[in-house]
Amino acid sequence: MRSKAETATRLRAAIAIVIIAATALAGCDARTNNAMRAVNGPQRIVSLAPAITETLFALGAGAEVAGVSQYCDYPPEVARLPKAGTFLTPNIEAIAGLRPTIVIGLAISSDPREIRALKAMGYRTLMVDDDSIAGIEAGIRIIGGAIGRAREAQALLDRMHLKIEAIEERLRGVPQRRVLMVVGHQPMVAVGRGTFLDELLTMARATNIAAGAAQTWPRLSIEYIIATRPEVILDGQMGTDPGSPSSFWAKYPTIPAVRADRVIGYPEDPTLHPGPRIVQTLELLARLIHPEAFTRDPDAPARIANYSTPHAIAPGLAR
Amino acid sequence: MSEPAITRTQVVADLALVEFADAHLTRARMAITLVVLGAVVIGVALVAVAFGSVHIDLMRAIADRSSADHAILFGARIPRVLMGAIVGAVLAAVGAALQGLVRNPLAEGGILGISGGGAFGAIVALVVFSRLGGADAAVPICAFAASLLSTLAVYRLAQVDGRLEPFTLLLVGVIFNAFWGAAIMLVNSIVNFYFTHSIIFWLMGSFEAPTYREVAMVTVLGCIGFAILIARARDMNLLSLGDDEAAELGVEVDAVRRTIFIATSVMIGAAVSVSGIISFVGLIVPHIIRTAIGPDHRMLIPASILGGAAFTVAADLIARVAIAPAELPVGAITALCGGPFFIYVLRREGRKSLAL
Repeated sequence: MRSKAETATRLRAAIAIVIIAATALAGCDARTNNAMRAVNGPQRIVSLAPAITETLFALGAGAEVAGVSQYCDYPPEVARLPKAGTFLTPNIEAIAGLRPTIVIGLAISSDPREIRALKAMGYRTLMVDDDSIAGIEAGIRIIGGAIGRAREAQALLDRMHLKIEAIEERLRGVPQRRVLMVVGHQPMVAVGRGTFLDELLTMARATNIAAGAAQTWPRLSIEYIIATRPEVILDGQMGTDPGSPSSFWAKYPTIPAVRADRVIGYPEDPTLHPGPRIVQTLELLARLIHPEAFTRDPDAPARIANYSTPHAIAPGLAR
Repeated sequence: MSEPAITRTQVVADLALVEFADAHLTRARMAITLVVLGAVVIGVALVAVAFGSVHIDLMRAIADRSSADHAILFGARIPRVLMGAIVGAVLAAVGAALQGLVRNPLAEGGILGISGGGAFGAIVALVVFSRLGGADAAVPICAFAASLLSTLAVYRLAQVDGRLEPFTLLLVGVIFNAFWGAAIMLVNSIVNFYFTHSIIFWLMGSFEAPTYREVAMVTVLGCIGFAILIARARDMNLLSLGDDEAAELGVEVDAVRRTIFIATSVMIGAAVSVSGIISFVGLIVPHIIRTAIGPDHRMLIPASILGGAAFTVAADLIARVAIAPAELPVGAITALCGGPFFIYVLRREGRKSLAL
């Protein structure tokens, strides 16, 4: 028995060494770019988060995605892909059954035990950051490198930067507005400092009043919101349930946003997704906070109305 | 409460109460205790109204109706303090009554599975109605309905030979509570992660942003419940002597149990439907009151009402100011502050004082 166990341990160690070597080599390959893709053959990628799936499709690697998380629903093609659990609880068996060449997830929200288990089973895993725009952009670059699509990653980032510049150009000269952005109002979980959404709000020429709290997703008190007098309130619950938030906020008529009827819903998808569609989110935020800057755009009012209903996003900004 | 005319039952009951020697109830003692506790409640409530996550000018708040200070004081802070007070009073009174009803010092609202059912109803309504619309209005109604359904189920299942058996009631309640906890976790794992905050909100409890209408609803149901419990306080005293003894002394044991069970269930359902599950208040407040004034329910129930209100308003004040402008869940504060204080009282007073 013992010798068998020892053999198994040695075998596992040997496999691990081979995998580490292979991973290191693959890393080198990726840096030498797309020519290597032909050598390695197509990847079988398992994505553990919607933002990762979106990145993979945006990089043109949709055909190489073997499995996605239960939460992945964009682009629509992912609906027919096998599901490998959620990013909080990846389903190890489902992932193993997909025989992935690489498993990609979000560093912060993944369960380290699951990732350890995947690593121990010999799968190549890649975790990217999602808590800042720099982290998201680095993630796109890292994923591109790891799957042999570094050039596509650079092209995607260039397109994103062009859009960002165009939106910033639109916003030149608009006044800074005090904004509160909440995921929902019961509890009042707000977008705080140290999140990519806080950065997007700043880029959209908003002063995020929730940045006054120390937490990244603070549960803000209504007293603080009344006292800080936000001019625009973005309420995520309103994205799906417009009636409830209006009656909730109507209780606090001294808030400028309530008085001026500037409590607006936003859809959870793609707003809360830290992927390539953050440029779409930036445009959405900019339009909601500074609608006057977009009035030159003939279909702007219709689009803003559409943002209150789920999944009615202005199409194709990121593409 | 007006005292009823002296009956045979009352004479026997008063004789039986000689057992509670150290807590023998006189009108004067009762009045002093309630006045002192009432003063504590008012004092804590005034502090809770004066302080919050932001500083306000109380004079301006009262004088200028269009000021933000006015909106904060009357729109946010006062309804919240009132909600904390009434929910705390309900939880503590229910705890005191249930500990006597099932003759178990660990009993409280949560243990009968009622609050778990309410929280489950709230969460399902939240998920369903956030698609259909009208979630804010639907959630408390569904929570209350689910807690009543849960009550009905526990009530039916806890009956043995047509009688409400305390031991069975306790076991069925505990199992229901665990069952609802598991059901909530199941919902949590199948719905979008977007709902996780709301689910934790219902599991940890909160008084954030209540409406006056919600406060009024809980107050009306709570006060009806308080009246029923106080009216049955004498019967609860006799029940603590044992079923047979109580029956011999003229108590309709089964009818009393039913009344108290239904009353406490409706009270807990009302509290959970607006504030989620707030643990520990129903457990520690009655025990602390008992160590101070003894186990006589005629005193224990009203004193728990006041003590529960003061404790919960104080805990919510900490939840509001500790990491302002962000908030902590009040259920975490009640457990964190209540637990050690409870142990301290327990160690100092010794085991005997926890006798029911």
